[in-house]
Amino acid sequence: MAHPLLSPEGGATHLLLGNEAIVRGALEAGIQVVTCYPGTPSSEVPDTFYRLAPNAKYKFEYSANEKVALEVGGGASLSGAMTLTTMKHVGVNVAADPLLTLSYTGTPGGMMLLSADDPGCHSSQNEQDNRYYGRLAGLPVFEPSSAQEAKDMARDGLLLSQKHESPLLLRTTTRVNHLRGPVEFGPMPAPGKPEGFTRNPAKRVPIPAFARPMHERLLKRIAALREEAEKSPYNKIHGTGAIGIAASGISRAYLADAIMETGLAGKFKVMELGFSHPLPENMALDFMKSVDKLIVIEELEPILENDLRVLAQKNGLNLTIEGKGLLPPNGEFTVTMVANVLRAQVGEETFACDSCIPAELPQRPPNLCAGCPHRATYFAARKVFGDDAIYSSDIGCYTLGLLPPLSMADFLVCMGSSISAGCGASLANDKPVVAFIGDSTFFHSGLTGLASAVFNNHDVLLVILDNHTTAMTGHQPHPGVEMTIHGANEHRLDIARACEGLGVEHIRQVNPLNQKKTTAALEELKEMSGVRVLIAREPCPLHTRRVYKKTAPMVAYVADSCTGRAECLDKLACPAFYKEGDKAAVNPILCSGCMLCLQVCTHIKSKKRGR
Amino acid sequence: MSDIKPIRIMLTGVGGQGTLTATTLLAKTVLAEGLPVTSGEIHGMAQRGGVVESTVLIGCKSPKIGLGEADVLLGFEPLETMRAMPYLRKGGLVLSSTEFLPPLSVAMGKQENPSLETVKEVVAQCTDKSFYLPCQTLGLEAGAVQAGNLALLGALTATDAVPVSLQTLAETIKSNLPAKIVDVNIKALELGVRSLENT
Repeated sequence: MAHPLLSPEGGATHLLLGNEAIVRGALEAGIQVVTCYPGTPSSEVPDTFYRLAPNAKYKFEYSANEKVALEVGGGASLSGAMTLTTMKHVGVNVAADPLLTLSYTGTPGGMMLLSADDPGCHSSQNEQDNRYYGRLAGLPVFEPSSAQEAKDMARDGLLLSQKHESPLLLRTTTRVNHLRGPVEFGPMPAPGKPEGFTRNPAKRVPIPAFARPMHERLLKRIAALREEAEKSPYNKIHGTGAIGIAASGISRAYLADAIMETGLAGKFKVMELGFSHPLPENMALDFMKSVDKLIVIEELEPILENDLRVLAQKNGLNLTIEGKGLLPPNGEFTVTMVANVLRAQVGEETFACDSCIPAELPQRPPNLCAGCPHRATYFAARKVFGDDAIYSSDIGCYTLGLLPPLSMADFLVCMGSSISAGCGASLANDKPVVAFIGDSTFFHSGLTGLASAVFNNHDVLLVILDNHTTAMTGHQPHPGVEMTIHGANEHRLDIARACEGLGVEHIRQVNPLNQKKTTAALEELKEMSGVRVLIAREPCPLHTRRVYKKTAPMVAYVADSCTGRAECLDKLACPAFYKEGDKAAVNPILCSGCMLCLQVCTHIKSKKRGR
Repeated sequence: MSDIKPIRIMLTGVGGQGTLTATTLLAKTVLAEGLPVTSGEIHGMAQRGGVVESTVLIGCKSPKIGLGEADVLLGFEPLETMRAMPYLRKGGLVLSSTEFLPPLSVAMGKQENPSLETVKEVVAQCTDKSFYLPCQTLGLEAGAVQAGNLALLGALTATDAVPVSLQTLAETIKSNLPAKIVDVNIKALELGVRSLENT
């Protein structure tokens, strides 16, 4: 049976994840090319396209990083293909260079950039507000608040982008990407073939002489898009009160529930902006003139608030505007927070949360899985370097090595920074620097840093944690993988050869589950200077189970001779272990059979699984 | 949408327990009842043994539940039930599993879990409406430990807290889960209902 998302018919209603709704919307627009680099909370968009790809007509790729993804997408759109490129918010920093020029060259096939922002830092290193990129690059910005809107805006955003030959920013936040709601499908026409490339260097090659008129065209385009925002069904005014509220994105959902909760519908007039940039100035001006006071409700930065303040000042409006003074510029909102703002405006008592707060409880932080090869690499590296080295970390599951007892992350900046920031640390320290990077991150942005490290003869040991997949974000393929859900990777890049090609002279390759060889290789590399690379190769056990369809035949158990020394518990922190009385024990269901623990203690033995 | 009394259901459990599958089944059941539904989840770390919190909201637009906003708390693990208590509004309903999945620090003997009695005391300070089920045991009795989550959903339909019937939930299971595990899960539902009725 064909997947419901690929149904050509409209009319049916399905409960969809926000990210699945975006996929359906793009399909309804006739999407032809999809590119991405995965990252929470955006990943289910490309992962769904990837899973459906064998039965669908679009072209799909996991690119090596976000810049590459946007450039591949840009090239496709310049050649007339309707294109979607997806990434998480910090990925747009990586892709900012092509983004700011694609807005000059234009994107004739239509091009939508999904930026999945993460207020609350559920799975990110910062809370940056990518609506600023819409302003910086001069792009139209859509901000959905429900699954239905995610679908409709993905479709209409692509069509609008095509009409104006402008990239469009579909800006979501974690709550929108990961909500589920009913979505009524529209029809899905066949995508047809891209129009193909039309030569016009004056419009597509931004040398200074051409870039200046391109900028003029961009300014005209922004004016035209402002007209579109004025009449967009995603921008609407409702309610009758004397106090105005302007809201965008998911805050519109919090606001709707807060109005229902407080029963204050008659007191407030609401302007909802789903098509939030360029600001529909006439609409906003009329709205501000019709109220005595304006409250702006938006998560993160005061972007809409500042736009409205400027507009009011320019037009000499004498009305009070409040926003970030009432609600914070960090973290997520809740319905109660918004409801309390409404209550305070009409002089009602605010709601103080009186729910019970339990005493401090044992925490449950995420942990490296049982059998994770990163644990083995870290265990060996700690044995060889102890607290004497500086550990430069990177982004992936292995960042979890930060937690004790492994404690193998001293600093982290961004994707690929382990190598380059590690080089910097070596300039200012006498201690050895050990940098850790995953295989996907290495292809994402480690290669350039490594080339620079070799050229500048830095003194750094790089450990590449090659678990054959992009584990953290949901096991997406990257250039170095052997296997994918659709079969073998026929164009696999070999990491050791890549390092060799970049001029690294000292390269060792080990299976980290072999502690003796791993420790020996680290000892050897420790005595050398310059750029050295250890590649620790062993697939992620989850990936092994899912894609290689393999389970290790043996599991570990603790023999009765256990002395209760507990080195296994204290130093490995493997979730398959537990303490039973004075002794250690292994849960055979959780044990993946990696046999690292057998190399740590002689009282740990192996037996056939299931015995 | 406005004439439906909003109901906010918070679900909490441990990564790998199937909390998100249960959440999606409940959301689909609400939709099958013809009610407006929004559901939310925070994952990413879910597979690595962390806490998994999710929501099902009836008659609301927001997918999020803030502190003191939940009408119902479904705890698939008692330590997580206790941790999530700040989300429950005073007097809300709690349905919780009684069977602990100790976090690493407890398993390693570095910290101690609260006792089930302590969990119940904390819950009782906030509400007098609570029910406890041995979910994993019920799941095993039905035929698979993971089906224990469905026992908790079954028990929920036996309360008057949500306008969702056992029959619609069973239909949703039939049309959404692989055929070979449908019977086990339906049996778990029934065990959950019976367990609640016997309390």
